[in-house]
Amino acid sequence: MCTRRIAVVALLVALTLTGSAAFGAAPVQLTFTVWSYSTDVILDNIKKFEAANPGIKVGLQDFAWEKYVDVMTARFVGKTPTDLAYSSDHWLQQWAAANWIVPLDDYFPQVKAYKPDFAPYATEGMTYRGKLYGLPYYADTIIFIYNEEMLKRAGFSTPPATWDDVTKMALAMKEKKIVEYPIMFQFQDITPWYIEVFLSMVYSYKDYRMFDDGLNPTYDREGSAAHKVAQWLVDGMRKHKITNPASLETTEIPLVKAMGAGQVAFAVLPKYNLADLNTPGAHAQAGKFKFALMPGESHGTVGFVRFYAMTKMAADRGTAAREAAWKFLEYFGGRTGTEFVVVKRWALDKGLGFAQLPLYKDAQIRAAINKWGNVTLEEQQSKLARAKEALTPFWGSWSLEFQKEMNKALLGQKSALDALKASAAKWKEMKK
Amino acid sequence: MRRRAALRAAIPVLFGLGLAAYILAPFVWVALSSIQPERELFRVPPHWVPRQLTVDNYRFVFTGRFPAGYEQAGIARGRISEKARDALPALRNSTIVAVSVALVNLVLGTLAAYTFSRLRFRGAGPLYSFVLASRLLPPMAVAIPYYLIVNRLGLLDRYAALILIHTVFTLPFTVWFLTVYFRRVPPDLEEAAFVDGCTRLQALVRIVVPVAAPALAAATAFSFMFSYNDFPFALFVTSTIRSQTIPVIVANTAINPDVSFGVVAVTVVLTMLPPVIFALGFRHYITRGLITVTTTR
Amino acid sequence: METKGDGGVPSPFLPRMRPVASSGPRYREARYAYATVLPVVLLVALFTLYPFAFALVTSLREVVLYKPWSQPFVGLKNYLDVVRSEFFSTSWQHTLTFVAGAVPLATLLGFGVAHLLNARTALTPFLNVTILLPWAIPTVISGIIWAWIFNSSYGAFNGALYSLGLIDSYLPWLSRPRSALLCVLFAHVWKEVPLTSILYLAALQAIPEELYDAARVDGAGAPAVLRRITVPLVLPTTLIIVVYETMVGIVTFDLLYVMTGGGPAGATSLISYYLYNSMFVAFNFGQGAALAVLLAIALVAFIALYLRLLRSEEIYVT
Repeated sequence: MCTRRIAVVALLVALTLTGSAAFGAAPVQLTFTVWSYSTDVILDNIKKFEAANPGIKVGLQDFAWEKYVDVMTARFVGKTPTDLAYSSDHWLQQWAAANWIVPLDDYFPQVKAYKPDFAPYATEGMTYRGKLYGLPYYADTIIFIYNEEMLKRAGFSTPPATWDDVTKMALAMKEKKIVEYPIMFQFQDITPWYIEVFLSMVYSYKDYRMFDDGLNPTYDREGSAAHKVAQWLVDGMRKHKITNPASLETTEIPLVKAMGAGQVAFAVLPKYNLADLNTPGAHAQAGKFKFALMPGESHGTVGFVRFYAMTKMAADRGTAAREAAWKFLEYFGGRTGTEFVVVKRWALDKGLGFAQLPLYKDAQIRAAINKWGNVTLEEQQSKLARAKEALTPFWGSWSLEFQKEMNKALLGQKSALDALKASAAKWKEMKK
Repeated sequence: MRRRAALRAAIPVLFGLGLAAYILAPFVWVALSSIQPERELFRVPPHWVPRQLTVDNYRFVFTGRFPAGYEQAGIARGRISEKARDALPALRNSTIVAVSVALVNLVLGTLAAYTFSRLRFRGAGPLYSFVLASRLLPPMAVAIPYYLIVNRLGLLDRYAALILIHTVFTLPFTVWFLTVYFRRVPPDLEEAAFVDGCTRLQALVRIVVPVAAPALAAATAFSFMFSYNDFPFALFVTSTIRSQTIPVIVANTAINPDVSFGVVAVTVVLTMLPPVIFALGFRHYITRGLITVTTTR
Repeated sequence: METKGDGGVPSPFLPRMRPVASSGPRYREARYAYATVLPVVLLVALFTLYPFAFALVTSLREVVLYKPWSQPFVGLKNYLDVVRSEFFSTSWQHTLTFVAGAVPLATLLGFGVAHLLNARTALTPFLNVTILLPWAIPTVISGIIWAWIFNSSYGAFNGALYSLGLIDSYLPWLSRPRSALLCVLFAHVWKEVPLTSILYLAALQAIPEELYDAARVDGAGAPAVLRRITVPLVLPTTLIIVVYETMVGIVTFDLLYVMTGGGPAGATSLISYYLYNSMFVAFNFGQGAALAVLLAIALVAFIALYLRLLRSEEIYVT
C-alpha cells in the first residue's frame, strides 16, 4: 500500500515535471519587420512555422517599401524591439556598420553549410567585411523584356543582342508607327530602381568596373562603360527619340502598367515583373512578353538579393531568443528537411526569383517558370549576374545624386560625361 | 443695355462653374475610377462616360473577394493590393483618433483659452506667447524626437501616441482662436453670475460656452481635420493596423508593388468620406467662427 | 482703458484686457488659472523643449547614423556645411520660386472666390459646400490623385486635352522641370484655396453695406470700388493670408514628395526635401538638425512679422 502510493506520487511528480518542461516554458516572442509585399503569404508562412515550432511566436509588422528604410531607421535609433527584419544588399553597409544587424557567421556556424548553394551575386550581396549577414528571402536579376508581337511586326525574329540592335529595332518600330516611344525607363529622380537599371546596362559590357580597388570612381572617364551607357540613353531620348520623355516621372509600377497596356516595347526590369506582365487577364498585352539576355558584350547584369537578417537586439536577448531566431532564419531562408520550402513557395506562387541554385533542378519550378518565362535563360542570366560593387554606407545617398545628374543630361541641361563627372565629384565628397 | 447686364451677370456664373470644375474634378475622377475595372483606367483617351462598371473593387475592399480576372491563384494571379483590405480598420482608427483629439482640444483648449482671456495672473503673457510660438520646428525635423519620446513612454503603435502628438500640434491654434473669440464676448453676463455666487468654472460652462458655441465648433472641426489628415507622424509612430491611420494605408496601397489602381481609388474615396461629412456638417460654424476671430470689432 | 495687469504684460499677442471685477480671494483665482492653463503648457512644453534641445544639441555634433561610435562636437561646422552646399542654394531657389508662385495665386484666387461666394448667385449654396472639400482631405492623398491626373501615359488631364482636340499626343507634364513645377503649383493652390477664400469671405462680409451704397450713389464703377474700398479694407486679412501661405509654402513636403519625388532632375526639390534628404537618405542627423534650426529661425521671423501685423491690424482700424 505504502509503496504503491509512493509510486503513484512519484509518477505524478515525474509527469508534472516533464509536463511543465514541455508546456510550462513561456513561448519565445520574436518581432519580424517586413515591407508590404504579399503579407498574406508571409502570415501564412509564419503560421506554418509556428505550428512546426510550438515554443516560438512571431509578431509581424509591415511598412510600405518606399518608406521601409525611414521607418526602420527610426526603429533602430529608438531601439524598438525588433528581432528579425528584411534587409537588402544596398543597405547592408549602413545597417552593419551601425551595428543594427549582426553577422550570422558569429552566432550560427552552421550557416556555412549553405554558402555553396547560393548564386555568387547573392552571397556577395549579403557579405560585409567577409561575414555573412543573412539568408536570402529572394534574389533576382534585372533582365531585358520585350514585346514579341511588336518585334515581329517590325520585321525582326530574334531579340536584340547589342544596344545598337536595340536602337535599330526601336527606330524601325517608330517608323512603322507600331508605337511612338518603343523604350521607356523608370527614371524618376528618387526611385531606387533607376541606379539598378543603369548599372545592369553597365555590367553588360566587358570592362564594367566603375570604381577602383580604393573605391575611387573611374566611371567618369571618356569611353568608360558608364559613359557609353549614359551616352546611349541621352541619344535615345534626345537624338533618336525612341525613349519616352515621360520616363523622368515614371517609377516601376506605372512602367509595368504602361507596358502591359501596349505603350512600351522594350524595358529593363527586375525579372518578377515578367511573371506579372504575362498573367492572363491582368494586362491587355499579357502573354506577349519575352525574356532576353541583357544586350551587350558580356550579357552581364545586376543581381540583387533581399534577405532575412537578425538584429543586434535579438542577439543580445540571450540563448533562447537566438536559437529561436536561427530556427526562423533556417525555416524561411534555408532548408526544412531537404527542400527550401518557403523560397520554393515564393517562386511558385509569386514568380519571385531565388538565389538557392539547387531549385533550378526542381521539375515543378521549371514547369512553373516556363509558363511565363524561360528557365534556361534565367539560369544562364543568374550565373552572369553580379552584385553591385562599392556598396558603401553613403551609396544610397550618392545614387540619388547620380540619378538627379543623369536626369539633367537626359533633359539636355548638360552632357552625359559632365553628368557623370558631377556625380563622381559628389562621391569623392561623401567618401571623406 | 440689357445684354451688357446679362453678360455681367453671366461672368460670375461662368467663373463659378469653372471653379466648381477645378475643385471637383479630382474627386469625380477618383470616384469614377473606383467603379471601373483596372484595364479601363489605362485607355488612351479615357472613356469619359464609363463603359464598363463594376463593384468588384469595392467588394474586394469590404469582403476580400478578388475582382474578376484576378481569381487564379499562384503566379497567374495578377497584382492586387491586399493592403487595401486594411482600409476599413484604418478608417476606424483615424476617426477614433481624430475625434479624441477634437475632444481633448475642446476641453483643455476651452479651459485654457477662457483663463487667458479673462484672468490676469503671473506669467500669463509669457505662457501664452510660449504656447503660440511652439509651432516653429517643421514636422519633418521633429519626427525623430517625437518618435523617441513616444517610444520612451511605451506608446508606440497605440492610439495614445497619435492623440498626444496631434493634440500638441493643434492646441496652440485652438487656444489662440478661442482666446481671441472669448475676448469678443462681453463679460457682463458672467459678472452677473458671479454676483449670484457662481464660480469661474460654472460661469464658463453655463454661460460662456453656449454663447461661444460656433467658435468651439469651429475649433473642434479644425483639430479634427488636422488629426485626420496627418501623415508624417502617423507614419513614424504606427507600425501595424492596430493603430495605422487611413493616410498611411492609402499611401502604402498606392505605392505597393502589388497594386491595382481601381482598388486604390476605392481607398481614396473611403478616406474622403469622414472629413467631407464633418466639413459639410460644421461649415456654418467654421465660417462664423472665422468671421468673428479674424475681423475687427 | 487699462492695458496692463499684474502678470498681463502688454505683449503683442494678448488683445487688450478689460478690468475684471474681483470675485473672491486672489489666490483661489490664481490657483484656478494655473490649473486650467498648465496642462496645455506642460504638454506643449514637453513636445517643444525636448525636440528643440535635441535638434540644437545634435546640430552641434557630427552625427552620422552609420558611424554611431563617434559623435564629436563640431561647433558650427554643420551650419556652415549646410549653407554652403549646392543642394541648399538650389532648393532654396526652388522654394522661393514656388512661394513666389503659390502665394499670389492662392491669394488672388481666394479673393476672387470670396467675391463669388459673397455675390449670392444661384450657385452659392452649391459652392459653399464644394469649396471646403479640398481642405478636408489629407495632403498626401491629394498628391496621389493629382499625380495620377497629370500622368503622361494615362492621366485624365492629358485625356481631356486630347479629347478636346488641343493636343494630338499625351504630353509628359511631370517630366519637364517647368511644367512639373506648374503642376505642383496647381495642386498646391487647389488645396489652399478653400482656406484663403473663407478668410476673405469673412473679411468681405465685415464691410458695411453703407460704404458700397455711398460709392454707388457717387457713381463709382466696379474697379474703383474694388480699389478704393474693398482692397484697403481687407488689407489686414491679405497680410495674414500672405504670411500664412508663405509659411505653408516653405514647409510643404508631402505633396511634392508624392507627385514628383523632387524631380525631374531636382526641379521641384524644396528646402523641406533637403531636410528630409539629410536625415533619412544621407543619415546625417547633424546636418539635418542644423537645417531644422535654421528653418525654425526663419519661421520665427515670419511669426514675429505675422503677429506684428495682427497687432497693427487693430491699430490700423481703430
